[in-house]
Amino acid sequence: MDAGERQVQVRFTTRLGSDLRVEATAFSLPVHLNRYGLSQIINTLLALDGPRPFDFLFDGELIRTTLEQLYLSKNLSAESILVLEYILAVGPPELQSSQPEKDWVSAVNGVNPSLILSGSYDSFARAWFPDGTCGSVLKGHSDAITSIAVAGSSNDTDLDVITSSKDKTLRLWKVGSFDRVSIIVPLKPSSSTLSSVRIFKGHAASVQCVAANPSNTQVCSGSWDSTIKLWKIDSEDEDNEDEQALKKRKLDGAKQSIAQVTAFTTHKEHTQCVAALEWPEDRYIFSASWDHSFRQWDVETSINTLTMTCSKALHCLSVGGEGSLLVATGGADPVLRIWDTRMPGTVVPVLQLTSHTSWISSCKWHRQSPKHLLTSSYDGTVKMWDIRSKVPLQTVEAHKDKVLCTDWWREDTVVSGGADCEFKLFKYTPIEWL
Amino acid sequence: MAASDDDALQVLSGDDQDDGAYSSDFEEEEADSGEEEADLDEEEGDFDDEDEEDEDSDEEDGAADGNVEANDSANHEEIREALLDYIGNGNAGADGDEESDDREAADESDSSEDEAPPRNTVGEIPLEFYKDEEHIGYDRAGRKLKKQARKDQLDSFLDRSDDPKDWHKVYDEYNDEYVELTKEEMGMISRIRQGKLPHAEVDAYQPYVDWFDWDGKGHPLSNAPEPKRRFIPSKWEAKKVVKLVRALRKGWIKLDKPKEKPRFYLMWGDDLKVNEKTANGLAYIPAPKAKLPGHEESYNPPVEYIPSEEEINSYQLMYEEDRPKFIPKKFDSLRHVPAYAEFIKEIFERCLDLYLCPRTRKKRLNIDPDSLLPKLPKPKDLQPYPTTCFLEYKGHTGAVSSISADPTGEWLLSGSRDGTVRVWEVQTGRCKKVWDMGGSVFCVAWNPNPALPVVAIAVSNDVVLLDPEVGDEEVQLNIAKLLAVQPSTSEPTENTPLIGWKRHDKLRGIQLSHQQNVVRVSWHNKGDYFVSVSPDDILFTFIYLFSFFSVELNASKRNNRAVLVHQLSKQQSQNPFRKHHGRVADVLFHPARPFMFVATKMHVRVYNLAKQELSKKLITGLQEISSMALHSGGDNLILGSKGAKLCWFDMDLSVKPYKTIKNHKEDINAVAFHKSYPLFASCSDDLSTHVFHGMVYSDLMQNPLIVPLKILHGHQKGVSDIKFHPTQPWLFTAGADSVIKLFCN
Repeated sequence: MDAGERQVQVRFTTRLGSDLRVEATAFSLPVHLNRYGLSQIINTLLALDGPRPFDFLFDGELIRTTLEQLYLSKNLSAESILVLEYILAVGPPELQSSQPEKDWVSAVNGVNPSLILSGSYDSFARAWFPDGTCGSVLKGHSDAITSIAVAGSSNDTDLDVITSSKDKTLRLWKVGSFDRVSIIVPLKPSSSTLSSVRIFKGHAASVQCVAANPSNTQVCSGSWDSTIKLWKIDSEDEDNEDEQALKKRKLDGAKQSIAQVTAFTTHKEHTQCVAALEWPEDRYIFSASWDHSFRQWDVETSINTLTMTCSKALHCLSVGGEGSLLVATGGADPVLRIWDTRMPGTVVPVLQLTSHTSWISSCKWHRQSPKHLLTSSYDGTVKMWDIRSKVPLQTVEAHKDKVLCTDWWREDTVVSGGADCEFKLFKYTPIEWL
Repeated sequence: MAASDDDALQVLSGDDQDDGAYSSDFEEEEADSGEEEADLDEEEGDFDDEDEEDEDSDEEDGAADGNVEANDSANHEEIREALLDYIGNGNAGADGDEESDDREAADESDSSEDEAPPRNTVGEIPLEFYKDEEHIGYDRAGRKLKKQARKDQLDSFLDRSDDPKDWHKVYDEYNDEYVELTKEEMGMISRIRQGKLPHAEVDAYQPYVDWFDWDGKGHPLSNAPEPKRRFIPSKWEAKKVVKLVRALRKGWIKLDKPKEKPRFYLMWGDDLKVNEKTANGLAYIPAPKAKLPGHEESYNPPVEYIPSEEEINSYQLMYEEDRPKFIPKKFDSLRHVPAYAEFIKEIFERCLDLYLCPRTRKKRLNIDPDSLLPKLPKPKDLQPYPTTCFLEYKGHTGAVSSISADPTGEWLLSGSRDGTVRVWEVQTGRCKKVWDMGGSVFCVAWNPNPALPVVAIAVSNDVVLLDPEVGDEEVQLNIAKLLAVQPSTSEPTENTPLIGWKRHDKLRGIQLSHQQNVVRVSWHNKGDYFVSVSPDDILFTFIYLFSFFSVELNASKRNNRAVLVHQLSKQQSQNPFRKHHGRVADVLFHPARPFMFVATKMHVRVYNLAKQELSKKLITGLQEISSMALHSGGDNLILGSKGAKLCWFDMDLSVKPYKTIKNHKEDINAVAFHKSYPLFASCSDDLSTHVFHGMVYSDLMQNPLIVPLKILHGHQKGVSDIKFHPTQPWLFTAGADSVIKLFCN
């Protein structure tokens, strides 16, 4: 720090614990400092054992420039004291495990903290254990798996797993979470093959997405036939179904008996392929479609309550943010758009995040944090975003080919699957997401 | 003149006052007047000199009698004159104005006034101004003229009785003196009193001399009384006035405003007389002016004008024409400047230029070239259109020859020279299916009917129909039925069918064997009919050369099978054309109406399939048509040609191209229309794909709008085929570099 350089007054605040708190006096700091320099200063002030990276917030935005540029961009007076809030920074993730699969990994699901589910183009879905071993293989579909939904919490003995596939059906599987106990030594995938309990038939074309409601009683699915169908997991009319199924079973003879379920509601307002669905609350569903729109549906009344139109075909959608009011969509362009559902009719998204170089294949809000997002793209990267900054927090060159799917698992781990037939887990340093 | 008139009147009135006195003895005295006249003349002669002296040295105010006498005589002259004037005026009244004017002029020129100017110089003022003064006015030298002492009644009476001439004396108030009347004047007065002309010599009643020659002239004036029409207002005139007034009111007649002269004008006119035309009608064109000398030609030019040694040397390397004619040089003074060596030569050349060079006026249009370009909207405003490549479909090992998209937009079909046909998932770029066809694939076509997902593949001599297995169970059942070869029912009838529908050897599908290489397959929009094109180059040229020979029979028999229409549901083939007018390049069905477009080398023929007749022949003007695409409305057609030209036909407009665009550098391989967006594109061997905005308006009055939007690059080898995504504004391009690319908006 040479004396000739301009200095600015900076005061640090934080919401972190008392052990990470610095005194609230203003420091005079040179203007060339960026996040790294500020983080060093905090580290020296705190005299921590090991260096810990910090991120700095000004006015609700993460600082990604030097202080000088910040002053210029915000039109601040050089005399004013800059109040910076610091939070723990998210460090780069570590690759925890990488599992080769037989084919492209097209779907992952990390809702359940005790196991991870992945679906592949070889028409199998697999359940993985945290240590990266394959627990069971869900066999039954005749074409690629496109999406996986999990109904039921980890406390249940059996998890209801619903998979959608390009063979125009959805299947329900009961995956025992206790399997984990039974399999201590990694088994061959074939040894623990599961078969589906129910089959959901009705779509006329490939089923692209599936989502289960939070109370785990219903699932919805979107398809290339541009419809959204709602299904009951434990259908009351199972008896009727059973009778029919019995007849069928008798007819089919040797064929494995699987109960068939038909949809109880169909939404047909979309004009093109329904590419993504999310069921954040029991009341409503969000759907994104290739017809450039995403819609909100009221489950009880089956009414399309909200339609917002984008300029590109949409491939993925995620609902999150403060109060689950923000919708992140990705589609046939490298821009992640974040929309505010409280402003229907707006044409412009509240936030456009550009860093990817190819189509965005999936996006996921963090399940706890309203600020963090995960996106995967055909450019082979998985990026984590903080919506307080227009620059991604972390970029991981996850796959050698297109990344087709990604999801959070257990707060700090990212799972991703791609066209290089790999299924990968990345672990971030444990952070306080809030 | 007026003043003298007044005086005359005064005299006369004075006379009147004494009328009674005079009238009695006037006639008696008349006889003496002759003698007195002579006396007066003498007196006049004497006093003239004195009068002049008086004017020069008139110092004494008190005037001697003699002096007064002299004055009297002068006044006498004046009165005479006044009387003459008076009489003249009286005559003038009878003669008319013109005569009086003449007389006035004559009077002015008369010098009588100069001879005897009035003594008093006060001018025409009321004489009572001087009533109380001792003088009556001033003479010409400014001296006061004293009033004469007034004689009382007695004195004057005595004077009168003493002076025998007193009775013809008159008092002149203006000059304050007595004037004696001459005998002539007296005579004049007496004549006036008698009512006669004042001058005795004037004969008022001269005999009339009729100078006009009356014989045979008739009467110049009519004696007839004035006709009535002279007194009543003219009806026709009134009508004419009404007409004019109406015309003025309604603006039929416009009263010309006085022409305003331009405020500024060329003071010396057109100096060069450029606009004037000579007698033979040729305009004079002035010679271009010789260049005036500048700093360079100065004898002492600024340093920057003087070339350095190197520059002068470099001139030697230049061509003679490019070399500067004059090299600036510096001299100390003007005296040192030598004679200009080139002078005679330059003048001579200038003269040569002037008279040998014919000068004509060039009529150059001063138009901004940009203004001639049509006003097209900006590409930015015509979004969306494909711009960037995000996805590549890799897997083929040979050049991709043809692609076709599934009508829903989920799948993409591609055929390649490596003998395989692949089905791709559009969204992810995954290859779903590979068929090894065992031969070079020329063309692939996905059935446009979404309920019937069947693909037609042109492989060497065959058309193969296959099931891509993308439909649901019901659809799959249908397809399985369709693709099962029906046992031909009409086998025994007549000759063998045109084409045999056989089961494919290896794949589950139908094979239609043709005699020639099949280069094109295209489906009808409803998905039941499809058409295959299998031209034969060699045979065709053969016919072309020997069309009048017997060979024709055999050859044309084979050539006429170039276009075959197949029906999938009945598994039948038919040959709709007996003969083709050239090598068939492409065939398309009209999307809605029973028309078929057959593109041969130079022309496109439109056949009405229902009436089985030629409905239109489009004259393209292209060298060789390579591909054809039809707008979804069916009225607009684009053609790509081997000559790198693109033609847009509006079938409603004419049989000639609406627009011809030469956009590529090399042969155009394929053209494509978007189904729903107003987009079309062309691809070429020059590795580029051109995307256009092609708006077709439903309003028949509005011609289609064509705007070039974007040139897409990316392929390493020529682009062999392009297709638009059926629902999104995306474009698939297939290259000879075995890659298929997806360009998105």
